[in-house]
Formats: sequence, structure tokens, C-alpha cells
Amino acid sequence: MLEMIRQMLNATVGQIVPAAWQAQTVEVMLIVMQITIILTPLMLCVAYMVYAERKVIGSIQGRIGPNRVGAFGYRLAGLGQPIADALKLILKEIIIPTGSNKFLFVIAPILSMAPAVAAWAVIPFAADTVLADINAGLLYVLALTSLAVYGVIIAGWASNSKYAFLGAMRSAAQIVAYEIAMGFALVGVVVAAGSLNLGQIINAQSGSLLHWYWLPLLPFFVVYFISGVAETNRAPFDVAEGESEIVAGFHVEYSGMAFSLFFLAEYANIILISVLSAVLFLGGWLSPFEGVLPKSAFTLPVIGSVLGGGIHWLLLKTSLFIFVFLWLRATFPRYRYDQIMRLGWKVFIPITLVWLVVIATLAKLQITPWFN
Amino acid sequence: MSEDSVTIEVNGTPMQARKGQMLIEVTDANDIYVPRFCYHKKLTVAANCRMCLVEVEKAPKPLPACATPVADGMKVFTRSQLALDAQKSVMEFLLINHPLDCPICDQGGECELQDLAMGYGRDVSRYSEGKRVVKDKNIGPLVQTEMTRCIHCTRCVRFGDEIAGLRELGATGRGEHMEIGTYVEKTMTSELSGNVIDICPVGALTNKPFRYSARTWEMVQRPTIAPHDSVGSNMDLHVKGHTVKRVVPAENEAVNEVWLADRDRYSCEGLQSPDRLQAPMIKQHGEWHEVDWEVALEQVHDRLQAVIDRDGADELAGLAAPWATLEELYLFQKWLRGLGSANIDHRLRQHDFRDDDVAPAFPWLGESLVDLEHVDAALLVGAYPRKEQPLINHRLRKAALGGAAIMAVNPAAYAQNFEFAETCVVAPSQMAQTLAAVAAALVEQGAVAGDALRGLINNVSVDDQHRRLAEALRRADNATVLLGVQAQAHPEFATLRALAGEIATLTGARLGYLGESANSSGAWLAGVLPQRGPLMGTTPGPGLDARAMFEQPRRAYCLFNLEPERDCWNGREVIRALTQADCVVAFSAYDSASLREYADVILPLALYAETAGSYVNVEGRLQSFNGAVAPPGQARPGWKILRVLGNRFDLADFDYDSAEQVRAELADAITSLRPGNHHWQLPGSLPQAAAGSLERVTRMPTNSLDPLVRHAPALQQTVDVADGHAHMHPDTAARLGLAAGAHVRLQNDGGSVELPLALDDSLAPGCVLIHATHPDAIELGGWFGNLEAGGR
Amino acid sequence: MFANVHRIGKSLLLLELLKGLRLTGRNLFKRKVTVQYPEEKTPQSPRFRGLHALRRYPNGEERCIACKLCEAVCPAVAITIESEQRDDGTRRTTQYDIDLTKCIFCGFCEESCPVDSIVETRIYEYHGEERGDLLMTKERLLKIGDLAEPQIAADRAADAAYR
Repeated sequence: MLEMIRQMLNATVGQIVPAAWQAQTVEVMLIVMQITIILTPLMLCVAYMVYAERKVIGSIQGRIGPNRVGAFGYRLAGLGQPIADALKLILKEIIIPTGSNKFLFVIAPILSMAPAVAAWAVIPFAADTVLADINAGLLYVLALTSLAVYGVIIAGWASNSKYAFLGAMRSAAQIVAYEIAMGFALVGVVVAAGSLNLGQIINAQSGSLLHWYWLPLLPFFVVYFISGVAETNRAPFDVAEGESEIVAGFHVEYSGMAFSLFFLAEYANIILISVLSAVLFLGGWLSPFEGVLPKSAFTLPVIGSVLGGGIHWLLLKTSLFIFVFLWLRATFPRYRYDQIMRLGWKVFIPITLVWLVVIATLAKLQITPWFN
Repeated sequence: MSEDSVTIEVNGTPMQARKGQMLIEVTDANDIYVPRFCYHKKLTVAANCRMCLVEVEKAPKPLPACATPVADGMKVFTRSQLALDAQKSVMEFLLINHPLDCPICDQGGECELQDLAMGYGRDVSRYSEGKRVVKDKNIGPLVQTEMTRCIHCTRCVRFGDEIAGLRELGATGRGEHMEIGTYVEKTMTSELSGNVIDICPVGALTNKPFRYSARTWEMVQRPTIAPHDSVGSNMDLHVKGHTVKRVVPAENEAVNEVWLADRDRYSCEGLQSPDRLQAPMIKQHGEWHEVDWEVALEQVHDRLQAVIDRDGADELAGLAAPWATLEELYLFQKWLRGLGSANIDHRLRQHDFRDDDVAPAFPWLGESLVDLEHVDAALLVGAYPRKEQPLINHRLRKAALGGAAIMAVNPAAYAQNFEFAETCVVAPSQMAQTLAAVAAALVEQGAVAGDALRGLINNVSVDDQHRRLAEALRRADNATVLLGVQAQAHPEFATLRALAGEIATLTGARLGYLGESANSSGAWLAGVLPQRGPLMGTTPGPGLDARAMFEQPRRAYCLFNLEPERDCWNGREVIRALTQADCVVAFSAYDSASLREYADVILPLALYAETAGSYVNVEGRLQSFNGAVAPPGQARPGWKILRVLGNRFDLADFDYDSAEQVRAELADAITSLRPGNHHWQLPGSLPQAAAGSLERVTRMPTNSLDPLVRHAPALQQTVDVADGHAHMHPDTAARLGLAAGAHVRLQNDGGSVELPLALDDSLAPGCVLIHATHPDAIELGGWFGNLEAGGR
Repeated sequence: MFANVHRIGKSLLLLELLKGLRLTGRNLFKRKVTVQYPEEKTPQSPRFRGLHALRRYPNGEERCIACKLCEAVCPAVAITIESEQRDDGTRRTTQYDIDLTKCIFCGFCEESCPVDSIVETRIYEYHGEERGDLLMTKERLLKIGDLAEPQIAADRAADAAYR
């Protein structure tokens, strides 16, 4: 299909652009199209994740959640709510505080949003379906997710508000603590898979449900997911916002579209962490029926492609993690700041270190079925 | 332990008591509260409410603590079951007929019955019969009655008897039909009538102007000093928001005990008068414009400076009211002296300034207020303390009830609330003769007079009354001669003062002055005098006094807190002088048509409750107070205005930040200064009465004293205000062929007026009494002098 | 020793957290109690404390006697009263303001009123669009009282036995 589009583009572009630039132009256009194809659903997901969050939390609290805003006189169970929210936020004024550093104040939300989106470049959605199939994919993801905190810190500093500043400080300390544990967890995956390429990591997990890394790397899986929750500043680790203590933390001075960028970045990050968890520990697009059903089952028409590996399994696994994010938020009260620090430094890092030794030993000894 | 001391035991605690003391006095002194309604420490014991029943050991029944004298070894239980049961039963009886109208009762929240009902009352009444209802009485504009609420403690009746000296309220009927009232419906005329509000334990007698306007818990209590008579009563302002809602007395045994004169109590209404000036105003081309302070003060500076530059500072005169605060008066004279003028005075109602040089540091009582209670004899010259200084009169009355001989030389036999031993009713022109006659009688009785006095009293005729008067003074160990307000306004004041001084010397009595206004003494100390600076300091001068500055009209006048045509001795001349002046700067709290007529700049002034300040009372007691409310609109405290004016004229030492700083320059000296009253100059001869058909007498009615009182509506409805009548003895009227109700035309060389005639047989024959401050009489000029009378 | 192992094991296995998740997870599927407000409404008690009103006697005379007990008892200082003597000699308010933006609807004013004048009605659907719209003056309160009097009287009657 990609080739088909490439030929169609070649044909049209050839008439406009000089021949020397033709190949590059087509490549850029293709990449832009691919980015669009990834980002558009992503943004929709983000918007509807807010809706889902309100519905889920409402449901857990015995309420209905948004159910009024629809379209054309129909309520549609409140499905119009994210659109209405988005419209409202776009139309609102962005207030820049007098005492703020204006440049940093404006750049902070962009800095927060950009890495959350850029990381998607290396996510493999299905076998061979990836925007940039680079070798150091995992490293790239690690680098970009660490960058997100700069947005928060700069926002907190640029606002010239004590609450924002406190939020930024908390966020910085928290990221430092959990980044390490998260890194160690990923090292475990790298050791197990023997590759930094996300596609190869998934392939390394193929075999069956039990071959997926959640089982051998269970401590890493838990640590990675919890660290992911902490990285995204989600409940119960949302001390950087801490409504009851520091009003709204780092984004207290933000309004309108600037505020909604932070908001979008947070949800994009949630989805990213969920996707990564699925890719790294639940076998990405791999089907759970692999190794369970006989091989012939996957060759059946329609049913075969549903049961076999594919993007739908990745989406399903991602949704599961996203749901857990919401579930956690509805269940747990916010950690106290010192408890967060204790958990990061004194529990997660030792656990990952110990388990890294175990995994390294297992890998060296080539224990099957995971390390062969 | 002395002879007359006993030891009793109350609730197990031994206590010392004097023999003859009542139980309740002992418990009160030891902070043990026994409930009571009828007992009041300043009144006699009636023991009719029975609320104070307490258990006494070996007594078969509970005894009333207010009427049980202590005995040695007595054991008392104020909270025993027997006592409590007795008190609760009494409470139930008291509540039988008391209406349940607390929500609309003004006493609610400060009601003794309400408080005690909380402590001793039952939740539910056992009394299902109808409650009695008593028809309401109208007892005047000051006190509101609601007699259904009365619990017959008779405090008000005893107050009338024992304190006010007028039996105005009494109890009629018996038992269920007992009612407190005036019997024949009439207005209470006592100048202390407001005190029945304070002593009434329930809401039967309440403050009429205050009625229904605020609740006790809404108001903040701020201490202050009474702004009218020279007693300097301590009182509390009750302030809600930014208004003074009412005034209640504060206890000070040395000054006002627990009482307060009506004038001080009700004058707070004047603070909210619609006539209050809200903003500075200037007159330009005959038109009045409201301006802001900057402009107004600039105008004062420019206009006064123009007069000074053109005609010299001597053409500037300043008159300040003796009811202004010490700080204001001090800065006023400091400012004017800074401008180079010595024409400063505060003695609005004095006419005879001959002996200014030998006047004491300030005119004072010569003794303390408490001392007045202990005099054996007192001679009042031209004084009517009952209306002029009611609480001084109360002290004199106490002395009289104790057997002292209080005597008077007055132009009328004023209605008194106690028996005077002697009253010489003489026309004003005869007052000096009378005093000389008393001195002569003293010499007859063996006193040794100096040459000057002997020369004076050669030819006076002495009658028996003079001799009795002299004898009473001579016999008394502890006597005083007091010069009153009318004496100080008398055209021969110097002579009266000298003669009174001689009488005092001959009898060993103290000479004292009864000041008219809150700061009559303080104004002298502040140096608002043409001949003296603050604290008897010497200054360049002497300048023109309050009389001369109008008789020799100046080009510019500064008037501080007075309505000159009504407040000065000779209103006619004042208007004439002010109208011709180039510049009149009026510091005034009230607007008036006449003020707009002659003033050029009007600066709105804060009154007593709105500014920090001090008054020096007639015994030299310096009492300071703070402002309790903000002045209306843009009005400002006088000391602030004067301070800024001082700066605007670039005068040295005018950088005050607070009234305390101003006060600090005077306070120490004032508290230590107690002048002798013993300097006077005897004149060469006694004044001879000029021949005339009628002699004018002027009296300042209680409730017309100063602008503040004149703007208090309730007080203006009382009988003690300037009525604009010509009062005459019936014989005098008959001699002139006038009948009651007629109009009489009075004239002198300056003007003529027509006033309705009122007959008053207390007046000296040949006199016509006209109240001061009444606008209809201003055309007649000075307070004293001869008049021609005719029918219409 | 064993206790420590047990404690650490329990903590590492996140058992308590899982318990919490199980609880909230179960609630996810419970019946929802939301009332669809403008279409559905919850039942009201006769003691419901909504918008205030000043009542009148049947003869049209206002009940309020300006005793100011409600003003004194109001914990939010939302009531402002000025009083004076009316021409017929009775004690009346000249100003009776309730600032609804301050009011916490505690009902103390109603409780303290000796003449049942100030009451809280069942009305709760009101709004203000301008500054001052929610400052209820005496006139407005009396008008509310006039409009809602049948309901107010019925509610007082229903609750009479407990007052």
C-alpha cells in the first residue's frame, strides 16, 4: 500500500517539482502523511480518553458522568463533551502573568507536548508497521520521555508563582527518582531481548502468552508501570499538581490553549506509557492465542486474521493499561511527598537492581523458554 | 481589727465588714453576686423586690441581703438550696405579669430581668391567667415608658426623691393595680431625668430618641468625656457602624459618680444633624462653592495673608469656643500668634475684662468636686448650677441635705431641687450692692476689713437678710463662695469678683468659679486669651479681648466651632463686625444661613466624638478621650486642620502626628497647676444703676448652650431651651400695663424687638428675662443693660 | 522475624492495594444513583432550607419586629438589619438584607425568629446575573413570602409537632 501511494505521489509530484528534488519531496510528503495518520487518531484518543476517564471514575463513584453534550439534538451519551471542552479551551484567552518570563512561559507547554508526540515515531503498531524502524528505538523513547519534565519545570519557573514553582520542584525530584527505576526496568528488557529495537523486542517475545516478558520480568513490569504512572504525574503520584495543597501546581497560571497543551501532553503520555508497557511486557501486537491454538487456526479467513497477531491486539492491550491508569486514580489517594521519594529511592531501585542480577544470570545461562 | 469591724462568713469564706453595712454591700465588695432588682448602691434600701433573698444561719426564713445588716459571726449562704429556691420563687412571681416582649424591647440584651430569668427562671410558665396591661404614659421627649414591663422595684421613684430632688415619678394603687407614673400626665423636667433609664432594671424606662434603633450587642462602647458642662462627666459612647447611637454614664466617683446630665446624654443626636457640614466651602462673588481641602486651605492662606500684608496682623482676630478641645484651642492660638496676632479669646459670654491682669491662671472651683459635698455653707453669686452644672448642683444638694446652708444672690429665685437657706433676688445692677452689703454685715459682725473695702461699704444699706447670709458664712467651718455663669457675664464682673473675693477672705471661705463649658478652664491654660500665652506664658500683647475685637471691628476673623451671633454676649455687634470684615474663616461643624451670610471660607469641623482631645474640667482635672466615629463627609478634626494650616503658613513647630503630641506640650503642667483664686482689684466705687424702666437679665438655658445641643432634636423639645419670650414678674408687667400673652416691644439704643410676654414671679422686679441664643432677641444686643418697654 | 517477612511480603505483593482496586472495581458495575436533575427531582423535606422569605400575617401586616435575633445568630454575618420606630409606634425594620452569597443556609435565622417571620422556603432554583442580584432586600423577601405563603404555611404546619 505504501508503495502504491509512493507511485501515485511520484506521478503527481513529478509534474511540479524539478526531477532532482523529486525523490526527497516524495519522501517528506510520505512521512508527513504517516505522521498525520498516527497523530490524528492519537489526538482523538486523547480527547476521548478524557471522556472515558470521566465516565469510568463516575461509574466507580456511583455516578453517570458526562451524558448531556451530544449533537443535533441527540445526547449520544455525552459523546460531544470532549469536542465542547476543546472548543471552550481554544476560545479562551491565554493569560500571561505580568511577572512571568514570557518566552519560557509560552515555550513550556510546547516543550511538554512535543516529546509526548515525538516518541510515537518508533512505536511498532504491527509487524513492520512503524514510522522509524531505528535500532536504538528504546533509547530514543527513554530520552524523549525524560524530556517531558522540562516542560513542567520551565512552566513552574516561568510562571513566577509560588505554587507553580513548588509543583515544578516536586516534579523534578520525582522524575529523577523514578527515571532511574524505569531505566533499570528497561535494561532488563534489553538484556532479555538482546536488542534496543522495539520491533525486535516484540519478536523476541513471540511463542505464547507465557513467553511474553510480563512473566520473567514481572518485578520490572510492575516497577515500570508504576514508574510510568509517576512519570506522567498521574494519581496517586500527582503531587506536582496537588490541588489540595498547591492549587494546580506547575500549570496554575496557565489558561486556554496553553493549559490544554499540558492537558493533552499528560494524556498523550498516558497512552504512550500504556503502549510501551504493552510492547515491552505484553508482546505488542502478538496474539495471546499464539501457541495455544493450532497453527491452522490462523490461516482461516477473517477469523484467522482476528485470532492472529495484529494492531488490534496492541490496541486492546493498550486500552487495558489505560483503564488501569483510570482505575488507580479512582482508587488511591495522593501519596505524601516523602512517601513518593521513599518508594522511588528505597524500594524500586533496589528491587530492579536485584532482579537485574537475576535476569542477567538467567540470560547468561540461557534458561528457556525466554532466554535462548 | 478596729472597733466597728465585724467578721462574717459568706459561702464558707470569712469576710471583714463594717458594722451597719448591709449584707449585699459586703458580698458586692467581695465579688460575690447576689441577684437584685430594687437595690442600687446610690439609692436607699427598699427591699421590695425580694430577689436578693439569701440563707442566713439560724434565721428561720431566707433574708433579703440588701436589708439585712451584718452581725459578727453571721454565716451566710448565697447559693444554698434554700436561697436558690427562694430566688427562683421570687422570679416566678416577678414574671407573672412581665410581658414576653423581649424581641421588641430595647432593654433586650442588657436587661437585668432577662439575665436573671436565664439563671433563675423556669422554662415553662405555670401561670395561665391573663397578664396585666398598664396604659403607657408620655413623660416627655427623653424617656420612653412601657409601663407594662415595670416590676415595681421603685428605683426610679427613689431616684426622683433622693437624687433628682423632684418627686416626678411615684407609685399609685396597690398590689396588682400598682402603677408607676407621674399621676397627672406631665413631662419630667429634671435635668437628670435620663438616669432613670440606667437604673431601671427592665425595659419600662428606655431612651426615647434611641428607641428601636440598635441592639446592645451591635454596638461598641467607647469611653469619652462629656462635652458640655464644666464637670467633665465620664461617659461611654455606644457606637454602631459609624454613628453614635447613644450615650451612657461611666462610673467615676470623683467626677460624676454614676450619673449623667441629660444634656450630655442626649446631645449625641446633634452629631447626626442634617445641618452638619460635609465639605469645605468658599464664597466667591457671593456664590458658595464646595471645594476640596487643598483649595479651601489655599484660600484661607491667600485671603488671610492678603489682609495681613495690607493691614498688618493686628487686623486679624480669632475667637474660639470654650467647648473646643484643649488641643484645638492650643493650636488655634499657636497658629494665630504665629501669624502675629494677639487678638485671641474664648470668653464669648464675658463683658467685663477690666481685671484680666490679676485673673488666676484659670478660673477654677477652688476645691475638688467631692469637697463640695462637705461644705457647711455656700454662697452662689449669679449662678444656677441646677441647670448649668447639674452634677455640681447634685453635690451641693447632698451638702444641703446634710445641713449645709446654701445661699444665693441671683436675679431670680430659680426653681431649685432643694431648700436654699437664703436667696437674695435682686436686679443685676443691684448685685454688687448686695455683695457689698453682705461684706458690710460681716464687718458689722466683727470682721476686719481692709481700707479699700471699708471705703466701698460705707454707704451701703444692710438689711436682715444680708446679716443672716453673712452670719451663716461666718459660722461655717467649711464655706465657699461660687461665681456662676451669670456673674461671669455680668457687666460688672470684675467688681462682683472682687467683692466675692473679699467676702471669702472675711469668712475664711474658698472662692470658686462655676465654669460654663467643658473646656472653660482648659481654654485659659491653652492660652486662648489676649493677655496670656499657654500655661500663663507671657506673650506680646495684650491683644483685643472677645468684646473689644467686635467693638473695634477687625478686617479678618477666624471663628472656631461657634455660631457667633448666638454664642456671643452681644450678637448684634458681632454680626455688624463680621459683615464688614474682608475675610471671615469659620471652622464650623454646622451650616446655617447666617454663617453663609458673613463667612468667606467654611471649614467643616469634627465634633467631640469624632476627634481625639482633652477637656480640663472646673476642678482642673485633665481628661483625654479618643475619637469614636469618623466625622461626616470631609469634616476633619480641628487639630489636624490647624496643623496643616500651620504648615501652610510656614510656621515653626507645627509637625504634629497625633493629638497626643499636642497634648504632651501641656499635660504635665496642667495636672500640677492649681492656682490660687485670691487676686482681684477692688474698684474705687460701686456701680450705680442707670435710671431706666426695665433691666435686662439673660440666662443661658440648659439645652441651648452650644451648637451641638442646639442641633439635638430631643433636647430641643424639652422646657430648658431658649423660648424667645420676655419673662417678667407679674408686678412689673402690671406696672407696664401688660397682660399675660401680650406682646411686648423692647428697645434700646441699638435696636428693638417684639417678644411675647411670659409671667414669672421668681424674677426680680423691674427686670425682663430673655433667654440667650434665641434668634429673635439678637437685635437687642448685649446680655445685660437697660431696655425701654412698650405694648404693641 | 516471621512477622517482618510477612509484612514485607504483603507489601511487595501489593495485596492491600489490590484489595482497594477490587473494591473500586466492584463499584464500577453497581447501579448508578445519579438523578437526572431538570427532568427528575429528589423529594424535599418540609424542613428544606432554600431561598429565604419574609412572611406576613393574614391581615397583610409584616411579621418582622426587628428584634435582630437572626442578625445576631447568623454565623456568616449575611443579615443586615436597620430598625426604627414606625409612625404607629411599632418596632419595624427599615432595612432587612440577606446577602445570599454569604448565606450558608444553616437555618439558624429561621430557628431564632420569635414570630416565624424569616423562613427558608423550598425554592432553590434561582440565580443572579448581575452584582447585587443575590442581595435580597426586604421588598424582595416579602414578595417571595407572598408568593410562597401557601407552601410555607403548609410546611410549618407539617413540622409543628417537632418545633
